Amino acid sequence: MREEFYKTLSSPIWWGTLAIAAIMPFVLSSYYVHILTLALVYVALASSWNIVGGMAGQISLAHSLFIGIGSMFSAALLLKLGINMWLGLVISAVISGILGAVIAWIDFRFQLGHLSFVLITLAFAEMGSIVVEGWDFLGGASGLLLPKDTGNFLAFQFGGGHGAFWMMLGLAAICVLVNVAILNSPLGYYLRTIRDNEKAAQAIGVNILRYKITAMVISAMLASVVGTAYVRYLTFADPYLLISPVITIEIVLFATVGGLGRAYGPALGALLLVPLGEILRGKLGSTLPGLHYFIYGIVVISVILVTPRGLLPLFERLWARWRGPAVAGKS
Amino acid sequence: MAFLEVSNITRRFGGLVALNAVSFEVEKGEILGIIGPNGAGKTTLFGVISGFIPPSSGNVVYDGESIIGVSPDRLVRRGLMRSFQIVQSFADMTTLDVVTTAALTRRPMREAIDYAAQALLRVGLGGKEHKTPATLSLQDKKLLELAKCIATDPRCILLDEVMAGLTMAETAAPIAIIEELNKQGVTIVMVEHVMPVIMRLAQRMVVINFGEKIAQGTPDEIIKDQRVVDAYFGDHLDA
Repeated sequence: MREEFYKTLSSPIWWGTLAIAAIMPFVLSSYYVHILTLALVYVALASSWNIVGGMAGQISLAHSLFIGIGSMFSAALLLKLGINMWLGLVISAVISGILGAVIAWIDFRFQLGHLSFVLITLAFAEMGSIVVEGWDFLGGASGLLLPKDTGNFLAFQFGGGHGAFWMMLGLAAICVLVNVAILNSPLGYYLRTIRDNEKAAQAIGVNILRYKITAMVISAMLASVVGTAYVRYLTFADPYLLISPVITIEIVLFATVGGLGRAYGPALGALLLVPLGEILRGKLGSTLPGLHYFIYGIVVISVILVTPRGLLPLFERLWARWRGPAVAGKS
Repeated sequence: MAFLEVSNITRRFGGLVALNAVSFEVEKGEILGIIGPNGAGKTTLFGVISGFIPPSSGNVVYDGESIIGVSPDRLVRRGLMRSFQIVQSFADMTTLDVVTTAALTRRPMREAIDYAAQALLRVGLGGKEHKTPATLSLQDKKLLELAKCIATDPRCILLDEVMAGLTMAETAAPIAIIEELNKQGVTIVMVEHVMPVIMRLAQRMVVINFGEKIAQGTPDEIIKDQRVVDAYFGDHLDA
């Protein structure tokens, strides 16, 4: 592990930001706490997706599958079999990890190109949603309703609003930290070389299959855990939200707008776009239906055009310019 | 038994025979030069030895074991490293990042970064650690290929035209590095078009034409060999 990781762990800025975020529920109205909680869900999801999509450069559209397993399956285990949701979280994460490994293996075995990988993962995602909608055990098309959140921690309950916010804050922080850790460890180097040039990566000793699988398994398990936490927050396990490929598209969008492959990029994207989308909808949704999507779309397109590599690199450039050319040495 | 033994390697691409029963041996610690006209099959040969291209038939024995079917990354960990003729680029990584990845084959994270920085310094790329490979000059790109090789602590390296496109003056740096590596006991097999360079470095040479070995010997023997002259200049003008 490189020093930078320990620096992050002992950084006052990091802990300060977390502390300020943690007191938000006392400052903001429950509406804004809800928006922030939602943003944190997407921070966690976009950050976990980043390990495969950003660092390894594999645009996986299978992540709705992992989120869906984490949410629908753990909810079904609780409601149909009475399995504690903590255990359900672990079981779902293991299943997601195994599925992730299978997908990564298929990609390697059949030497899929970028586009084929996108399509294969999308096919997996579609299969997942068909299975969920057609299988009563998982709630079918009508979904599953979880028992009321009474704050019983042992039953994976966090007491609604504030508790859910803190739980999501912790989870989002863990997902971002995992990103920082990977980028500062050999795995991060291996994934970046694989993304940039598979053949050349192999020629300098990188075992492509092993690290593609590692990345996919970590990413899938994190997404699944976030899925379980998300469904607990929502209370209603809605298949059209949780196992629909649309949720992956949103994640990819946030990660891309924030900065692919960077530890804080996806988090930044989600923290800006989720509140923007929600607030636009809240303010404009009733006056002129559709207008909020229109404005949201224009914002996203503008960002991509102005800074194709995402907002984080843009902010870094602005910061370097502001600090003066003396410290602007690093690319 | 020789350190690297290539026996009867044949490789077909559809109807095209890129390599036809090529055999040669490389002794530990020597510099072997491979020459041949464009399209003779030299890069395919390197692809086969380094595990990127499976041969249609034949065998390659490295350090006493057959390495047919062994993946390139495992060969690197066993000390068999190759450079590429077409310099491989990494879009979003610095030269230090790329060489660090190479160094990670044998070292933990922190040591790998220091070792990579040393390797860059050794090939003369000190001060360019934070540039991306794409922004380097052709000469520096070739030096980066050498730095990647060095960083993996190889026992045998296959150099595919590391001098191509360089001026005579620019070849001085890579030549010095290759000589130094060889002095440290690294076995070197190099494909090269720049004749003065290979004549000076190689202790023995193998000549390939149309996928077949047509000659081998010391550089002095090779330049006098009529088959080699014919291969390069054509035996008859009507050919």
